[in-house]
Amino acid sequence: MRKIYSVLVAAVLLSSCAKNLDEYNIDQKKATVVPAATLFTAAQKSFADVLTSPSVNTNVFRFYVQQWTTTEYLDEPRYNLLSRTLPQAFWSAIYKDVLSDLQEAKKVINADPLLNADVKANELAQIGVMEVLAWSTLVNTFGNIPYSQSLDIANVQPKYDDAATIYSDLLVRLDAALAGFKTSAAGFGTADLLYSAKAAPIASWIKFGNALKLRLGLIIADKDPAKAKTVIEAAATNVFADATDNARFPYTLSTPNNNPISTAANKALTTRTDYIAAQALVDKMNTLADPRRPGFFTTVGGAYIGGYYGFSNSYSNFSTMSAKISAFDFEALLMDYPETEFGLAEAGRRGYTVPGTPEQHYNNAVTASIIYWGGTAAQAAAYLAQPAVAFTTASANYKESIGIQKWIALYNRGYESWTEWRRLDFPKLLPPSAATAPAGQSVPDGLSIPVRLIYPINEQTLNGAKRAEAAAAIGGDVVTTKLFWDVN
Amino acid sequence: MTKQLLICFVFMLFAIGANAQDKTVTGKVTSKTDGQPLPGVSIRVKGSKQGTVTNASGAFSFSVPQGTTSVDISFIGYLMQSVAIPSSNVINASLAEDSQQLEQVVVTALGITRKKNELPFAAQELKAEDITRTRDINLVNSLGGKVAGLDIKRSNAMGGSTNVIIRGSKSITQGNQALFVIDGVPVSNATANTENQSTGRAGYDYGNAASDINPDDVASMTVLKGAAATALYGSRAANGVIIITTKKGSKNSTNITVNSGVTFGKIDKSTFPTYQKEYGQGYNSPATDGTGNPVPTAGFWYRDVFGTGKVMTPQFSSDASYGPKFDPNLLVYQWSALDPFSPNYQKATPWVAAANGPDTFYETAVTSNQSVSIDGGGEKGTFKVGYTRNDEKGVLPNSKITKNLFNFGGSYEMAKNLTVSAAANYSKIDGLGRYGTGYSGLNPNQGFRQWWNVGADITELEEAYNRNNKNISWNWGDATGTKPIYADNPYFNRYQNVANDTRDHFFGNTALNYKVNDWFDVIGRVSYDGTSDLQEEHIAVGSTALPAYARTNGTFAETNFDLLMNFNKKITEDISFKGLLGANLRRSRLTNIYAKTNGGLTVPGLYSLSNSVSPIEAPVERYERKAVDGYFASTTFGYKDLVFVDATVRRDQSTTLPTNNNVFWYPSVAGSFVFSNVLKDLTWLSYGKLRLNYAEVGNDAPNLSIYDTYTKPTAFGSIPMFSVSDTKNNGALKPERTKSIEGGIETSFLNSRFGFDVTLYKTNTVDQITPVSVTTATGFLKLYVNAGEVQNKGIEVSAFLIPVKTKDFAWTLNLNWSKNKSEVVSLYADVKNIELNTLSLSGAVTYNAAIGQPYGVIKGTNYVYKDGQKVVNANGYYAATSSSAEIIGDPNADWMGGIGNTFKYKNLSLNFLVDIRKGGDLWSLDQWYGQGTGLYPNTAGTNDLGNPVRSSLASGGGIILPGVLADGTPNTKRIDVSNSGSSAYGYPNNPPRASTIYDAGYVKLREVALGYSLPQKLVSKLRAFKGIDISLVGRNLWIIHKNVPFADPEDGLGSGNVQGYQSGSYPAVRTVGFNVKFRL
Repeated sequence: MRKIYSVLVAAVLLSSCAKNLDEYNIDQKKATVVPAATLFTAAQKSFADVLTSPSVNTNVFRFYVQQWTTTEYLDEPRYNLLSRTLPQAFWSAIYKDVLSDLQEAKKVINADPLLNADVKANELAQIGVMEVLAWSTLVNTFGNIPYSQSLDIANVQPKYDDAATIYSDLLVRLDAALAGFKTSAAGFGTADLLYSAKAAPIASWIKFGNALKLRLGLIIADKDPAKAKTVIEAAATNVFADATDNARFPYTLSTPNNNPISTAANKALTTRTDYIAAQALVDKMNTLADPRRPGFFTTVGGAYIGGYYGFSNSYSNFSTMSAKISAFDFEALLMDYPETEFGLAEAGRRGYTVPGTPEQHYNNAVTASIIYWGGTAAQAAAYLAQPAVAFTTASANYKESIGIQKWIALYNRGYESWTEWRRLDFPKLLPPSAATAPAGQSVPDGLSIPVRLIYPINEQTLNGAKRAEAAAAIGGDVVTTKLFWDVN
Repeated sequence: MTKQLLICFVFMLFAIGANAQDKTVTGKVTSKTDGQPLPGVSIRVKGSKQGTVTNASGAFSFSVPQGTTSVDISFIGYLMQSVAIPSSNVINASLAEDSQQLEQVVVTALGITRKKNELPFAAQELKAEDITRTRDINLVNSLGGKVAGLDIKRSNAMGGSTNVIIRGSKSITQGNQALFVIDGVPVSNATANTENQSTGRAGYDYGNAASDINPDDVASMTVLKGAAATALYGSRAANGVIIITTKKGSKNSTNITVNSGVTFGKIDKSTFPTYQKEYGQGYNSPATDGTGNPVPTAGFWYRDVFGTGKVMTPQFSSDASYGPKFDPNLLVYQWSALDPFSPNYQKATPWVAAANGPDTFYETAVTSNQSVSIDGGGEKGTFKVGYTRNDEKGVLPNSKITKNLFNFGGSYEMAKNLTVSAAANYSKIDGLGRYGTGYSGLNPNQGFRQWWNVGADITELEEAYNRNNKNISWNWGDATGTKPIYADNPYFNRYQNVANDTRDHFFGNTALNYKVNDWFDVIGRVSYDGTSDLQEEHIAVGSTALPAYARTNGTFAETNFDLLMNFNKKITEDISFKGLLGANLRRSRLTNIYAKTNGGLTVPGLYSLSNSVSPIEAPVERYERKAVDGYFASTTFGYKDLVFVDATVRRDQSTTLPTNNNVFWYPSVAGSFVFSNVLKDLTWLSYGKLRLNYAEVGNDAPNLSIYDTYTKPTAFGSIPMFSVSDTKNNGALKPERTKSIEGGIETSFLNSRFGFDVTLYKTNTVDQITPVSVTTATGFLKLYVNAGEVQNKGIEVSAFLIPVKTKDFAWTLNLNWSKNKSEVVSLYADVKNIELNTLSLSGAVTYNAAIGQPYGVIKGTNYVYKDGQKVVNANGYYAATSSSAEIIGDPNADWMGGIGNTFKYKNLSLNFLVDIRKGGDLWSLDQWYGQGTGLYPNTAGTNDLGNPVRSSLASGGGIILPGVLADGTPNTKRIDVSNSGSSAYGYPNNPPRASTIYDAGYVKLREVALGYSLPQKLVSKLRAFKGIDISLVGRNLWIIHKNVPFADPEDGLGSGNVQGYQSGSYPAVRTVGFNVKFRL
């Protein structure tokens, strides 16, 4: 009998006392310490993904500027933001998957006493540029957003800051980042997916930072011309010089690091046929006999045909994105040379002191865009010779001539195109209505093209009071509320 | 040791031999109430210790000294009888129930049996026959409608999990499932399902492990509802405990029970869509082909499909029924005309609604159950061996679950004071073709209820699939007919995109019980519960979804070491004392690995990770361990069977909490007063007891919620990535607590012909450890905190009434009713709302814990009302509130009730149970999409002018939505609803989310059972048999009342915290069957 007791007691004692088992709380399968570079890479990829994805759950801006429309499901081209959690997905992607990882990377770098000071400076500056890019994207989407109290888990109900104030701070941060670069030292090296292939990556980052500065300056140009002038003039001398300076994100052939467009539209990955080219863009390019059409679209019976925007369209009747765009390894552009050239052209027309003439910059932009999409310099020259394209004759209003050409050149970059459309107010686009409906289809009256996204629905339930304050401050949490810089 | 045993054994044989001159008395004891045999009845020679007990069929046989003249027959809950031994030496006695019910025993926490009259808390017991009566092979489902305060929500999916909530949800985001304890072995009711599945996205419901037990093995189930009843179990029992006691062998007997049953199930069509049959495939009916070329009939494609000139085809790629009007005279080249193997190839067929709609996709479910159990025992030991096989074929094609259950249990008296016992159960569950659930193409109801072509004929689709096993669908991507776009052929889906799974489940225990003396005994027990799961999911090449193979291998093991010391002593004649000192050490470990192919499958039909197109991503691994040490003590003082006072205390130490804060103590006190014992003059009062108790239960944190970790996305080529985790862990967590107070009265009257039990309770769960959703502007999705307080208060009533009771006939009514009101009292910091789930498919609907509101309220956009009328916008459509944070529904029932009736006439019995749920809302994604795609009758028909609503405004179609304009004047704007793009219903035009909120209440005829036991006279002629019972059963036969259109209001997404949401809901299955039980 004693034996049995001994066995029982032994069995009980075999397992250690619970109080000595804190190692049970350490996840055996996940890292608790990671290199900063890995967080930086993840942030870059997350940012490229959210801006590139055509998923109706994440990014619908190609619709808003009528580059694309859908075949069957009309919620998104009709600006319905309640049908899915799109504003939430976009917001979360940038806060949680980009800014949070960048902040974490900074923490790790700052806590590393052994890191070379110049490398540290470069890494922090690279992070700084990425941060300003991400923050400006959020502001340009929503208006006022949590900023000064954000990214702090100790404060789960952060206040929303004034968008213009955030912008001022971003410009300060961007200057600080630019001042921090040390061209003699390395930065993140291969972990930097944008410029690691370049001979002098840090020099490229300086150009990238300046190009971003040019972009931010233009955004506030209508609101605060004096400040815009200072900012742009400081940046203009060191922006992209040619297409090799493009901030390109190199998607690969292997899922899940393929271009998200291919996930949504490549026949090898999906049977869905949701996206077709929209009438507005295709018609315009047909009128101009634009040499970029083969790069942009497929043909139907040899012709480029755009679908009815915001109405049902039969896929096989219309042009869709070209095979180039739906390729697994099609690169994403976060910023490109044509964009900076258009920016300089506009800066010149606004009377800011920048190198070169506006027309030169305009022609450079259009030419570079045509070449990027597979055209030739000769085609570009012929195209620019058309009175409807030529800078001097296309329109007396530079906002119209640059606006329309930028709209075309920013094809497949729906987000930037939408921002430029809001800023330049060209081209003139119409929301779906009885007037634009094909026979046999109808649409409720009263739609208008969003000029911002509404705050995520779950901000109402998670941070209700602060969101309500912000909604009141910007003039209502609706898609028709113009952002602070959208003055016209 | 062995020697001692041997000596015992020899001595025993010798003792038997020594009594050779005695006479043998045999007989049978039955219950006077219902004539059923009574097992375990004690038969004793008057004034001596010599005696025996009856076996499972009530029979006994034992030797008495020659001169013995009478025996005493006694059994708890029954009046004792002294019976004279007749010359035949055969005694057939029938015992009358003791109306005082004083001696009835109930199994309570830690397997401690207690007399019912002593219990100071609510415990409702179900007997074996209550559980097996209707032959549901999921034991948990059998509880529905039978226990006050128990909310059972079953899934209509084959083998699906059942949500078991006792007295309302207490935890904001953690499990609210009751704990199951099978013969002392805690068995979790948690599922192996993914979070996606339980929140309504794609997935499979693999059921829960608590259902891995044969209902026929169950002797009784006790539902312990309140914290006072469960406090001894410690932290895991905060949500209530369901104790299952299995049948055991009895001494000196041998019984063989063979059970054989089969049931057949068909879907209840009132829970399945009725479609409009006027319009066919399409989202609209354009007059041209979209590029300006006219078509002969609006709404068709007009293309040169066969190289023979332009022909009309439906808009194949549309998964909706807003297309052209049906017309039997109109001939169109439909989906099968593109299938070269179809008799319709290149043929035009009439444009009509399908003759065989989706209801014909459902087959007859067949479930068979065979079991054998042998139990018995000698003087020293008892044993039980059982084998059960269940074959369940579901209502969906190619679905089946096979269960093989083995069990063994035995006990042996090794010495006078030492009993050793062991139990071992092994279950092997093999599932094939589990039902896909939620918003997924793998769930055929996503199509049938949301995205369907009412012209698609199921029989034709079946034939098309069977011809060459290809994915021939009504939903071609284009007019070449090479590949479906959104909807697979449902048969292809069921036969090719199959999920299969295997679960090996072992649980058992060994125990030693040493009786030190007549007032002190010690029990040592080691129990183990382990599962090993393999789940494989296949997407075939040719599917609309990306072909894939995914597998999950998981194990879970829990070991419990228990040491219990029981003291039981009368201090004086009137005062009794019971004490318990105990320790419980719990260790558990979970491992899990999930891997999936990447980018498709290279070789069709080969389901292997190596068949991945791109190299696979790193598998997801989980490894979680947990240890809890608990020490507890309890005392009970009783005074004269009149007053009982209980007190317990338990100390737990859990590894999942921060080491400086991982010990927590919690007490309970409880008292009962049997007032009928002081009111003996009131002859109409048979029994009366008051109960009152207060208890606290502490709880620890989920595994791995203290230290932060990083997530690891797949490396970008050779460049590694890490990312900050979505959830912020918390190293400052403290234990959470549930405090409950409960009072009740238990009575019976008029010789126990009528009685009721009423319980009032209030439970507050405070400092809940929960990962709350936070704005992602914080950089995180979720944050672990000790958050807030949820209060549940309610009333539970159970009552019985025996209106008629004669020798041959009895009618018993059992009623139960409960009402629970939950309220979120506080959250954390100054947060006023926590989201439990956001429907990614309809972003404006959320499930919330909001301060001052019941748990789980549904928020979304509501109608705007003016003077009680719905406001219509200037464009003729309903206005929606600008805020999506309006409360539009509450998933909690107002009350629940069950009415059980039992009629007995001689050997014949008839039972039926009506199950009622009043109120509680659900939001239907099925209606949200299905109305938008024109499936349901409200989207077609005629308008107030008598014209088809789907005609253009110019031809008198359209509707005027009832309501007023913002200024209060009646709406007169007629809107065009000719196509999906202008529909007034469902998703396309963003009506208020409240438009698809429904009252989920119901009245159901849940169970009907007709049982017949062959008369003993007849059975005794069939020498081999002790009894033969035959029963006819029916389940879910009739939904007497419901408000949710075309769906079963009860159907949910299995167990989980998101209730009140339907997406791709499965229809209810009506089941009828019969069962024969042979007792040998």
